[in-house]
Amino acid sequence: MKDTRRRARLLLMPAVVVVGGGLVGLFTSGALAGASPAPKAPDPSAMAGATAADPITYSLPPASYVAPGEELFEANCASCHGTDAFGTDRAPNLVGLGAATVDFWVSTGRMPLAISSIQAVRKPPRFDRTQTLQIAAFVASLAPTSSAAPAIPHVNLSGASLSDGESLFVLNCAACHTVTGAGDALADGYFAPSLHRATKTQVAEAMRTGPGNMPRFGPGTLSDRQVADVDAFVTEALQHPQNVGGLGLGGVGAVAEGFVGLLFGVGGIMLVAFWLGDRS
Amino acid sequence: MSEHPGLTEGNGQTPGPVASFDDPHMRPYARNPARVEKVVAALFLLGFLGFAAYGGTYWVNGPNELQALTLGVGLFATGFALAAWGRYLMPQGPFSEERHTLAASDEEVAAFSNAVSERGKAVFRRRGFLGALLGLGTATMGVVLAFPLLRSLGPRPGKGLDVTDWKPGSYVMDVTGRRITVDDLEVGGMMTVFPEGFVGASIDQTMLLRPSTAAFTTMPGRESWTPQGYVAYSKMCTHAGCPVGLYMEETQQMLCPCHQSLFDVLDGAKPVFGPAPRPLPQLALYVDSAGYLRAQAPYDQPVGPGFWERS
Repeated sequence: MKDTRRRARLLLMPAVVVVGGGLVGLFTSGALAGASPAPKAPDPSAMAGATAADPITYSLPPASYVAPGEELFEANCASCHGTDAFGTDRAPNLVGLGAATVDFWVSTGRMPLAISSIQAVRKPPRFDRTQTLQIAAFVASLAPTSSAAPAIPHVNLSGASLSDGESLFVLNCAACHTVTGAGDALADGYFAPSLHRATKTQVAEAMRTGPGNMPRFGPGTLSDRQVADVDAFVTEALQHPQNVGGLGLGGVGAVAEGFVGLLFGVGGIMLVAFWLGDRS
Repeated sequence: MSEHPGLTEGNGQTPGPVASFDDPHMRPYARNPARVEKVVAALFLLGFLGFAAYGGTYWVNGPNELQALTLGVGLFATGFALAAWGRYLMPQGPFSEERHTLAASDEEVAAFSNAVSERGKAVFRRRGFLGALLGLGTATMGVVLAFPLLRSLGPRPGKGLDVTDWKPGSYVMDVTGRRITVDDLEVGGMMTVFPEGFVGASIDQTMLLRPSTAAFTTMPGRESWTPQGYVAYSKMCTHAGCPVGLYMEETQQMLCPCHQSLFDVLDGAKPVFGPAPRPLPQLALYVDSAGYLRAQAPYDQPVGPGFWERS
């Protein structure tokens, strides 16, 4: 009996070594690993015939996309939004919303809805890029394009300022999406979604069209230059956090960090205390 | 004193025998001290290597993470070796040490207090003037030391809590100091705005929203306050003063991130959920002939959380 307890106590030493060494590794290796990947270079191929001076160019999909888009719309969307896209009692009107709105909802997989819930969630898109643009072309063909119904934005991040983007993000976006872009709950079951998987086109589309509960940031509120700055900050900085302190823990804030701190920090200290204090 | 046996025992007069290494209590805790000694030595060596690597990294101005890692390895290994040394290689005991009784006897206490009080009285009676001066100085010091404490409470707010910098005709400006025109916000848009000349002043921060293109009535008597669908509410929550910057455009509600107070934008920002006790104060807007958004009048009530003298 005494021998068993003695052996159990001796096991505390390797336990402390493992936990302590693991903590050192946890909080330093993350920093070393996080520091290595360089920010990826802006993608020059996304620019379709625009000069480098234009941070964003808006263009409609080619007119030949309208007819196949109508077929896709009637097969996949019309059951809720109506054959003329004016909406039904189950889904809102789409006429006059523009190509960017449709592209955002379809390319993020939020449409078509899988289940009816308070808020559509991001999921793998059902349509490929061409099909998405065809549907967008059809809906956009139903009403004239305007700043309230923008065409597809093509964002050029080459001249974007990350620091300006961060300031604008903190002022306009961080209240809901949080300063790490992890998203957070709103009221009545709504939530601001995470930005960590949004593409630069989707970020620009969301800002210009204001999907769901999100306010719309039109050209009078944020210029194309400023939208591109925010876009660069989201897709280059927020989506590749440096986490110099070690693990980022999803960037959701003090609850997760406090949990890990208490569990591993206080737990490790308790192990050490048991090991040091146990004598007889 | 002799009636207190504790005073005569273990007071250094008669030292006990030094424990010999043959004493079983002097054996180390570990069963195999030689092996533990090797482990401890390896840890000390690892600690030495960590410290040396830290020094080298610091010398060549290496990355911070590497400095932290090497220093951490050095500290952890050395500390762990020290603890293991004490834990496994030191004599395991148990040992006991006799101590004399700590409490003084009644006679000693009485004699000491008598001596102090009698001597003290005699000293002060002889130098009464100095004693008074000492009291004067220390009393003054006590009062003066309270000054920084009182000063740290800050200036008296005066009227600062009741009024903002919004004046009749104040231009509405965004955070960059640009005057906002009636064309700047799309329907469903929002912006944090300030009065001209006070961009960034926290008490003036105002949420400018545009739920529609036509004027609407948030409350009776405020029919003219929402030109072309623009509406402006103070951004300071009436509960604890947090910035109410979460505008849910679809449900036309504003959410305070601190305690989840929810305000109905179309209904005068009345709180519909949460601890906020009052609606957000609304700023009366108008559009001037050049198309700029301006304030008709200051806020008609104090903004932000309640305070003692709030009327």
